Amino acid sequence: MIAVEDLVCAFGDIVALNEISVTIEDGSFVVLTGPNGSGKTTLVRHFNGLLEPDAGSVTVDGHDVLTEPVAVRTSVGMVFQQPRDQFVASTVAADVAFGPENLGLDREDIERRVRRALDAVNLVEKRDARIESLSGGEQARLAIAGALAMEPAYLVLDEPFASLDEPARQSVLDRLCALHERGTGVIVVTHDLRGVLDPADRLLGMADGNLVADAPAEDASRVLDDLDVYLPPPSEW
Amino acid sequence: MLTYQPGSTAIHRLDPRSKLLFQGAFAVAVFAHDSLVVLAGLTVLALGILRMATLSPVRILRSFRFILFLLAIAPPIAALSFGPPWVVLDRAVTSAVAGYQVVVMLLVAGAYVHTTPVRESRAAIQRHVPGRVGQLLGVGVGLVFRLTPVLLADLQRIGDAIDARGGENLSTVERLRRLALVGLRRAFDRAGRLSLALRARCFAWNPTLPELSFSRLDVPVLVLSAGLTLSVLL
Repeated sequence: MIAVEDLVCAFGDIVALNEISVTIEDGSFVVLTGPNGSGKTTLVRHFNGLLEPDAGSVTVDGHDVLTEPVAVRTSVGMVFQQPRDQFVASTVAADVAFGPENLGLDREDIERRVRRALDAVNLVEKRDARIESLSGGEQARLAIAGALAMEPAYLVLDEPFASLDEPARQSVLDRLCALHERGTGVIVVTHDLRGVLDPADRLLGMADGNLVADAPAEDASRVLDDLDVYLPPPSEW
Repeated sequence: MLTYQPGSTAIHRLDPRSKLLFQGAFAVAVFAHDSLVVLAGLTVLALGILRMATLSPVRILRSFRFILFLLAIAPPIAALSFGPPWVVLDRAVTSAVAGYQVVVMLLVAGAYVHTTPVRESRAAIQRHVPGRVGQLLGVGVGLVFRLTPVLLADLQRIGDAIDARGGENLSTVERLRRLALVGLRRAFDRAGRLSLALRARCFAWNPTLPELSFSRLDVPVLVLSAGLTLSVLL
């Protein structure tokens, strides 16, 4: 469980998160939405200790993000908005192996994790390809594989559909649903709600650094009325 | 930009330590000899290596075009003197030979970059340079290979963006000033995001690195390296 209590984060005079409290259960599919600048990315970057709280606390399965960052980062995989920001190697398999190598695992275990992660995102055949040769959708899936290789309990994706065309978007969404069915907790940060409300269990809404909505995903039309977020027609949920 | 290209050529399959050792020996031989016959022989050897690595020498030279430009203008500058006879041809020849030695060395270095995964270079360094120094060198090599192509691509995009909005009408100095300022800002931004990604993926100074092992394929390379080094004594 990810437990956030009275989390405050400020950048100078700007309060990005204002006493946020929320818990995210194991294996749930959560959509976090809100307009640009509402604090979505800032909130999820606290989930694996990339940002430190100014006040309050964040724990993941009982591990504090400040005192046990490695335990937290192996539990919470993070996929950034721009997949390219996440790549640290030149070939597909080498990039996926990067995280497990940092955990000091033996080579057989690393290879097993790489195979499993690439299989989960349908990129096994591209394992020796150069990352630059992949399409945008494949790069998005590779970024997910890089996080999956850590075998996280939760996968956080920050705007995973940004700049993807429709087939690539659907491909990423299918992979996320498959991972959720296998028990991985999925947290999708997005202001584009097409296709994510149906698989989601829960919808969180943010505005001006406050958590203003927390409801089952099927109540989206009710809770998102006051948020500046486009709500697609139910047929696109 | 020259980067690692996966492949199964003999050069790809060599142990990275053999390749590093060969590069060192080749550099010693190239810079120890200025006889044109020896340099021609070493050039043939370098071209042979490139052929085995299925890498075009033109591609390497294009990658290093800025260095080539400097090497090309060096001889005429070296030939100039501040007094009579104003132009000393011998100096130009010496400078040209030195430049040529660098070019031949770049060909071999290009073959190394093209055929060696960064992780293997890091493993080779960390295995043989002990302690924190080895870790720093290994990580440094990894970061340079990762960031350099990204930064060069950024500079290209910035240049295109400047030109797309009439930047060609700016003076060269103004254009370079803008390119440098935006490029520097973008470089810091890139470095910040890479640092975040490294932390998110549990960056460690001493990770599990690929296993390195010599094979029979490395023997001729090691013998050749020894020969090149000993050739200095001739």
